Amino acid sequence: MPVTRLLYPLYQLGNPQLRIFRPNWFLTLVRPGKEMPPDTAQFRIPMVMTKYDVKNYLEKIYNVPVGTVRTRIQFGSNKKRNHLNQKVKQPDYKVAYVQLAQGQTFTFPNIFPEKDSEPTEGSMEEVQEKFMEDEKQKQKLDPRRGGVTEWFGL
Amino acid sequence: MAASSSAGRVVTLCKQFQNVLRISSAINTPKCAANLTKIQSNFYRERSPLVVPCSFSLTSSLGQCRALHTTISRRGLEEFFDSTENWGESTVKSGAPWTAKQLRTKSNEELHKLWYVLLKEKNMLLTLEQESKRQRVQMPSPERIRKVERSMIRLETVVQERETALRMLQTGQEKARPGAWRRNTFGYVYWYRFKEYAIPWYMNKRYKRKRFYTPKFVEPHMRLRLEKHLREKVRKANLERETQAGLLKKFPQMKVPAS
Repeated sequence: MPVTRLLYPLYQLGNPQLRIFRPNWFLTLVRPGKEMPPDTAQFRIPMVMTKYDVKNYLEKIYNVPVGTVRTRIQFGSNKKRNHLNQKVKQPDYKVAYVQLAQGQTFTFPNIFPEKDSEPTEGSMEEVQEKFMEDEKQKQKLDPRRGGVTEWFGL
Repeated sequence: MAASSSAGRVVTLCKQFQNVLRISSAINTPKCAANLTKIQSNFYRERSPLVVPCSFSLTSSLGQCRALHTTISRRGLEEFFDSTENWGESTVKSGAPWTAKQLRTKSNEELHKLWYVLLKEKNMLLTLEQESKRQRVQMPSPERIRKVERSMIRLETVVQERETALRMLQTGQEKARPGAWRRNTFGYVYWYRFKEYAIPWYMNKRYKRKRFYTPKFVEPHMRLRLEKHLREKVRKANLERETQAGLLKKFPQMKVPAS
């Protein structure tokens, strides 16, 4: 995303701390692959962000009390080959494990719950569903035969 | 010099902003303690359009703070997810992205607030996208990411426009990062962007090692380069002309291209 490339002023002892007015860092909260303690949240963060950046980001923008942050860099696989048999690299990314403070806990919710939605009258979906049901009914064996195979009998 | 001045301006702006915040918080605290009632807040909201939020003077900053309506988010990490009624929906309704024209009518403070709103929205969408990838379901309304990105780019351009205008007024410089046309050893002229150094240039060995001039003995090579370039240009033009002539000979009915 072409947002301003900042040229930070040289730091000299006694200068004020750096401030960012419009941060262009985006965090992705992800479901942890392995089981984790209940107070830990896992994020995918940009490579340039540091632990302190993550802490400040969450505390200032999201008002989340952060205890500690641990980070690692995930190597993106370069095992895949394209149609010219060249190696294709998946991009690397940084992972941050954020431990919440003040006894807060976090569990990743199920954001795609099964919703039993009634398809609207006369829509394509309803027709399709009806057709599928009829087909299934036709495929079923006659219950009066008591499970005897089709080819047996007159 | 100019780079340091721009940095200095940013610092002074920060300081002013901080001062404003400190003053506003100092003044607002007793009111908060006195349990701000709904009537009072309504009163402030009604008064707010009268105050013109344009400068960082004390009165206007107070007015701004009264007009300011910020809700402290208590949702925390829940803000990384959409609102609960949108969970499991196949499509989510969304409006159009902000246009530059709309953004130009907003004040700087409002723009910065909007930036954070957009930032949170994008974080939410990225989280949603990643989770949908993981669960191998289709993401509901994936066009929202593009919309948010466009709005952010436009917001950035609007803020930069304002910065440039202010810089032009204050220092007369068009570029945020000053520079100059310089030539290198090989006789090429390029835009050299200035940067900050901790020590003056005459003490800086590394800087003094750089050569921003063309020695005399390079001149024949520059001539040769020019000659080469011109020859190549002529050769290409000739080739083009000859092909056209050949084609015309083959197909007399052919239309001759304009150029």
